[in-house]
Amino acid sequence: MKLFKYIWRNVTRNKLRSSLTILSVAFSLALTTVLYGYLAMQDSWGKEAIKRNRIVVMNKQGFSGSLPIAYIDRIRATEGVHNAVPYAWFGGNYQEQQMPFAQFGTDPKNVFDVWNEVVIAPDELAQWQSDRQGCVADRRLAEKRKWKIGDRIPLQGTFYPVTLDLKLVGLFEASTYTDSLWFNWTYLDEELKRIAPEASGNSGTIFARCKSTEAIPSVVDAIDVKFANSDNPTRTQTEAAFAQMFSDMLGNIKSYIRNIALAVIFSLTLVAGTAMAMSMRERTTEVAVLKAIGFSKSRILAMVLGESTMISMFGGFLGIAAGAMCLNALHGVSAQFFPLSFVDLIGPWIAALVAVGIGIGFVSGLVPAIQASRISVVDGLRRVI
Amino acid sequence: MIPLKYNIRNLRVRWVTTLMTVLGTALVVWASVLTFGLVDGLNHALTSTGDPHDVIVLRKGANDEMSSNIEAKTARDIANLPGIARDAENQSMCSNEFVTILTKPRRNNGGTTNLIVRGLNAVGRKLRPDFRIVEGRDVEPGVNEAITSRSMANRFENLGLGESLEINKLQFKIVGIFEAGGSAAESEVWTDLNDLTTSQRIPNAVSVVNFRSANDASMEKLIAQVRDDEQFKLKPVSEPEYFEAQMSASIAIKFVGFVIAGFLTIGAMFAAANTMYAAVASRSREIGTLRALGFQRRSVLTSFMLESLLICLLGGAIGCLATLPFNGLSTGTANWATFSEITFSFRFGPSVLLRGMALALVMGLLGGIFPAIRAVRLRIIDSLRQR
Repeated sequence: MKLFKYIWRNVTRNKLRSSLTILSVAFSLALTTVLYGYLAMQDSWGKEAIKRNRIVVMNKQGFSGSLPIAYIDRIRATEGVHNAVPYAWFGGNYQEQQMPFAQFGTDPKNVFDVWNEVVIAPDELAQWQSDRQGCVADRRLAEKRKWKIGDRIPLQGTFYPVTLDLKLVGLFEASTYTDSLWFNWTYLDEELKRIAPEASGNSGTIFARCKSTEAIPSVVDAIDVKFANSDNPTRTQTEAAFAQMFSDMLGNIKSYIRNIALAVIFSLTLVAGTAMAMSMRERTTEVAVLKAIGFSKSRILAMVLGESTMISMFGGFLGIAAGAMCLNALHGVSAQFFPLSFVDLIGPWIAALVAVGIGIGFVSGLVPAIQASRISVVDGLRRVI
Repeated sequence: MIPLKYNIRNLRVRWVTTLMTVLGTALVVWASVLTFGLVDGLNHALTSTGDPHDVIVLRKGANDEMSSNIEAKTARDIANLPGIARDAENQSMCSNEFVTILTKPRRNNGGTTNLIVRGLNAVGRKLRPDFRIVEGRDVEPGVNEAITSRSMANRFENLGLGESLEINKLQFKIVGIFEAGGSAAESEVWTDLNDLTTSQRIPNAVSVVNFRSANDASMEKLIAQVRDDEQFKLKPVSEPEYFEAQMSASIAIKFVGFVIAGFLTIGAMFAAANTMYAAVASRSREIGTLRALGFQRRSVLTSFMLESLLICLLGGAIGCLATLPFNGLSTGTANWATFSEITFSFRFGPSVLLRGMALALVMGLLGGIFPAIRAVRLRIIDSLRQR
């Protein structure tokens, strides 16, 4: 306890230097928090998806290929499949904005059976099932866009040459933010039959829920084998793998962000180490006095390390808090690129950042601490700075 | 004026602190310049176009080439419009193109992503900036062949020269590697128009029509004519305008770049300030002596500012130099406007490097000013008395 008090006094002795070090650690760790938060955001869907037994079927060619709607029934009939729905990405423009949120055409009768963790009020669901032009949206999306039940939401198609005139009839609650709106696939298809018959009958992608986790591998194989020789062969994968695909799209940016973060952490250690070394150089005589009155080497080592660790720990906490606020602000500005707020992102990576903050302090204190513990009493007392 | 030699010698005496601060600054400038170079490379890929008179015709309502489709007859009508430039053989410089995206794996377990495959004829090549085959040969129509850029060949499985890319159960052999002035075309695989539409089982399909107008006046006239034709229902946009709309991907990265640079610069500023405060504190007797010798406050202020600038600019220069090995390095990420891969190279031009040095300058100035002010505020008597 006494040691702690002594460290604390030393930290607050040169307030200016300590605050400058704390601030420089804070700014850089805030940046690291934002960067890692962004990476965590990319992987959050996949992490969530692992808990569900969902699989995704798409055309083997990718998103440009189509999947006939008749595939739904054949997938439902596959051994081990609980239920399946079409899930067509519409990608429409809303009020002159290009794809401001995700829009999917799906099957109101079965979609809440496939996403069984997503909740909606029964009367709202009934309303959606009876209203062909109805749509439901993530509650938080509706709040952000200030939509109320009954509002008209016109969506202008981009690759589907149709405009959908939707009416919001319900709000759903998902375990993490989805930024999505769901409408009736049949409405889209009927419009297409009228305007562009050649594009109709396409379910886009198909999401299915398997009866059990164990059934997934065999279901995946069975579906791909079933359609292998058709005009539209499929590529079936777990929802987690599907999510990983989007995260992978970022490509080199991911490793780039990681390397920048590493460079930041390294430069921080240099900076904090320099500050600590400066402090210790000014206190050479003092350390010699301590040794003269009987402080052991290890005690002095602990004192210096404790000081540097405490300083950068403060910086770390401050920085992580600031980074969290930045992430929330970014989420507010653009939900497209920052789909989750900080609360949704809390996970082991934050503990890792805290550890990094403490680690920077420890490592940066090592050299000054060893130097201090090695000071010879005679030299130190004689030395004039 | 206190000679600069005084500062340099001082830095040399406290060489460990100097070195650490220089290295810290260098790393920060390095990271920032790297980010600027990344953004600049992406911008370059999206903005280098063939000719300011090039026009892309999309279906009305489509945001990009992949979501567009145009009837074959309409495409023929467009080609015959007066005002379209003619090439040396008096051919209309109007190219019907079919664009699709395929989900394919990157090399070295880099995950899967979407790549753009474009079917086009000979005339389309003349509309790209500096199109040329650098290895192998161009495709021959009718035999399912494809060409791609060097960076795509290196990034994707099955895209190397001599390898085969599967498109809807058909094998397209890669017979050549092309260059197109570092433009977005270098993120694509090119094949013959008919071969691609046949493989997709939608013969004669056209996604977009690209044409070059003869001059400014004809470009305006053509755009208005195509846009206003009730029968066509088309959206003609000039090429620069089209890529402008795709910048959303680069805007996000640009924004991230500025955030990185901003945070790091502020962090490094504090570090520089720390070093300079320590310099002032440990040299107060010297400062007193200088003042007693008759050096003015202004000279002392300038001297300390110069010292801080020296440290940071040195760090900046090292940081900038350290980015050079990355110059031209090819990299890639998702273009969220098209959901497909865009490849580009890091570019460290003078403006990028200058921005890095400007950051170093800011760090030096702002980090040095307060310690320098403290130095000149010292009273001569007090500072001389200090041990």
